[in-house]
Amino acid sequence: MTAITTFFKQPLVVALILIVVLLVLGESLSPGFASADQILRLLIVASLLGIVAAGQNVVILGGREGIDLSVGGVVSLSAIIAGNVMNGADGGILPAVLACLAAGAFFGLLNGLGVTLLRIPPLVMTLGMLGVLQGLLVVIRQGIPSGRAAPGLSAFVTQPLLLGIPGIIWLWIAIGLFMALMLNRTVFGHRIYAIGSNEHAAYMAGVPVRLMRIGLFMISGMFAAIAGLCLLGYSGSSFANVGEQYMLSSIIAVVFGGTSLAGGKGGYTGTMAGALLLVILQGILTTVNIDESGRQMVFGATLLFLMLFYGRGRAMRA
Amino acid sequence: MSKLRLNGVSKAYGATLALRRGDLEVAAGEVHVLMGSNGSGKSTLCKIIAGSVRPDAGQILINDKPVTISGPQAARVAGIGVFYQELSLANRRSVEENICLSALPVKAGLFIDRQALKARAARYIALFSQVAGEGFHAQALVGNLRADQRQLVEIMKALASEAPILIFDEPTSALDRAQVDRFFEILRGLKAQGRGIIFISHRMDEITAIGDRVTIIRDGETIETLKLSDIDPATVIRLMVGGASDMPAARSAAPAVVETQAKAAISVRNLSGKGFRDVSFEVAHGEILGLGGLHGQGQSALLRAIFGANPVTSGAVTIGGERYDAKSPRDAIRRGCAYVSGDRGRDGVIRGRPIIENVTPIHYLRDRLMIARPSRLRNKAMPALEAMHTKFASLFHPINSLSGGNQQKVIIARWLIDRPDVLLLDDPTKGIDLSAKADLFALIRQLAAEGLGILLYSSEDAELLGNANRILVFNGGSVTRELTGDDRTRYNLYQAAYEAA
Repeated sequence: MTAITTFFKQPLVVALILIVVLLVLGESLSPGFASADQILRLLIVASLLGIVAAGQNVVILGGREGIDLSVGGVVSLSAIIAGNVMNGADGGILPAVLACLAAGAFFGLLNGLGVTLLRIPPLVMTLGMLGVLQGLLVVIRQGIPSGRAAPGLSAFVTQPLLLGIPGIIWLWIAIGLFMALMLNRTVFGHRIYAIGSNEHAAYMAGVPVRLMRIGLFMISGMFAAIAGLCLLGYSGSSFANVGEQYMLSSIIAVVFGGTSLAGGKGGYTGTMAGALLLVILQGILTTVNIDESGRQMVFGATLLFLMLFYGRGRAMRA
Repeated sequence: MSKLRLNGVSKAYGATLALRRGDLEVAAGEVHVLMGSNGSGKSTLCKIIAGSVRPDAGQILINDKPVTISGPQAARVAGIGVFYQELSLANRRSVEENICLSALPVKAGLFIDRQALKARAARYIALFSQVAGEGFHAQALVGNLRADQRQLVEIMKALASEAPILIFDEPTSALDRAQVDRFFEILRGLKAQGRGIIFISHRMDEITAIGDRVTIIRDGETIETLKLSDIDPATVIRLMVGGASDMPAARSAAPAVVETQAKAAISVRNLSGKGFRDVSFEVAHGEILGLGGLHGQGQSALLRAIFGANPVTSGAVTIGGERYDAKSPRDAIRRGCAYVSGDRGRDGVIRGRPIIENVTPIHYLRDRLMIARPSRLRNKAMPALEAMHTKFASLFHPINSLSGGNQQKVIIARWLIDRPDVLLLDDPTKGIDLSAKADLFALIRQLAAEGLGILLYSSEDAELLGNANRILVFNGGSVTRELTGDDRTRYNLYQAAYEAA
């Protein structure tokens, strides 16, 4: 195999090429689709997804069929908590951030404990947690106003902050750098790959496997919580199940970026491209007037298609 | 007339000749014992008869007619029933279903005939009704049974095949005396019916109790077939060992113990756990203590327990004079213990990750590192890899790109960045090439000379005889003999290994 074909088989390269193709396609379908303003708007939406996918990414990298289906529930819950804590006042932003992070960490901790101590498969554990969170959302919202975003938060998400680029995009870039450093340059990162690749060997080399796994679910919960907070800033006020779509789309973004669902292989750079790609795809589907249910079908089919494409080298269940 | 005959059967796996030449003749109405040390080729021979391995050459005759056994199902049809040493039971199914699993009675071509199944299973369960013990009944789930009861189910399953030729590969390893006696009574009944039985066991007393003839395999070749009534156990062992059996291991081979410190590097007192019991020994600094005996007699279980990977039920371990209770490998590593497994695919290699990440995990733990700086790690990793003469193109290539021997060198190198006090070697040379073995043992001796206490288990007796100062021979989970000085001979090692447990 030549260097060129190897290059074009890298998931990141594939994703970047597809991004350009989709932008051109979008522009031809609806002139103005690829304008600077539109691209900024797509990037804002992509950063929300990308932040959720960062947590999904580490859980999947950790292996043993690691997956977090509860991220959507945490996003919704966090948006509601943030709305109620700040309730339109800038002074409430910091308490809201802390409350959201605490909630995300708490539900991540529960996921992690269920998976490690009770040995519940991640798929079942986090699906059950999603059910609990959805029920909780209904209870919380009964008779209580859902609260509004503080102006400062909305500005951070939607208005230019630096060099004409909104704060949330800068935040996403910072998270990208953080993830790259964590995965490649810290012992914690190397250990994530180790447990994802060969859990038993990692255990025999003194890696605290259970503690690590609990930590990964907590990271996932906290990233989802940050995304929920920003989502509130984007939409102004929270509504029920605002985060629902993130369960499927965060997994697709991770897989699109070349991370193996079997764990131990992949990284966040590809996931970022995957998130952007998905958001552009979503935009195109909207411009050609395909409604939400249609978009969900396309997303689901995309994930299955990706599994076909990437999953051939290695069985999903190791 | 012979029930089964093998003429010049051979089998190679790649470059390794597992079976050079197998000749075997099993007569009707006899129990034919197969004997040979670890890796002599007897399990390959059995697998060929059972149809799970296709021979490269040679001929198989059943009732003097040449046959081709193309797979396990074909072996069943040809009239061969097998007891598998690695039990082949379905844990979540009942005893009776397991007994009939290979030929479930069917009615109308589709549905399980439960009546017939119950009746058939009941016949075999009844055979052992006196000795099967508490909780053993037709509907019991196999997964809930004790080890000896599961083994009985496997025996019943083999018997239920009603095959004219039966192979029993170590059928008695978990059974108690009464169960073995009952099993032998049943075997004698089968003999009287004219069946041909192949029997593999490592217990000399059982072999003489039940066997009629014995065929000895050594280095992949069937050496000789003898009548057991004509010979004594010592002759059998001598034949298994081959020439030069009484030669003591070359004295120069094992390094002298450097008694630099008064305290033992590691001392183990009355240690018991799953797979081993009441084991006691001390290893001095600079000493290599060999653990010998047949495969799976508790050597690996002991090493894994010392390393904290298996639980210890009683007893004590001290390292450097301090009481040491490792609850996990993490504890053990912190206390200066190192463990190298021969099963590197399971215990060692972090697949798909760069070589450097496969060398550094122990260093991360012992130095309590948080940040992994490649330049610093490279300086730590290179000397360790060079000490092992590891061949690789770049530290950042995935470990999978290396040969098996070089992968094992990388795994061993991870223990060399921060020197341990005690090195536990669990069959470390399994599946690696000769030059890598030589490099590995050169390093082990050098480490001993530097004062490490080393425990070495090897399934190759020559490695033990050539490198260990002392050898503890394991049999049935406990140490049955200690060989020192001139007693370290191949003959003594075999004799101790094959003694009745």
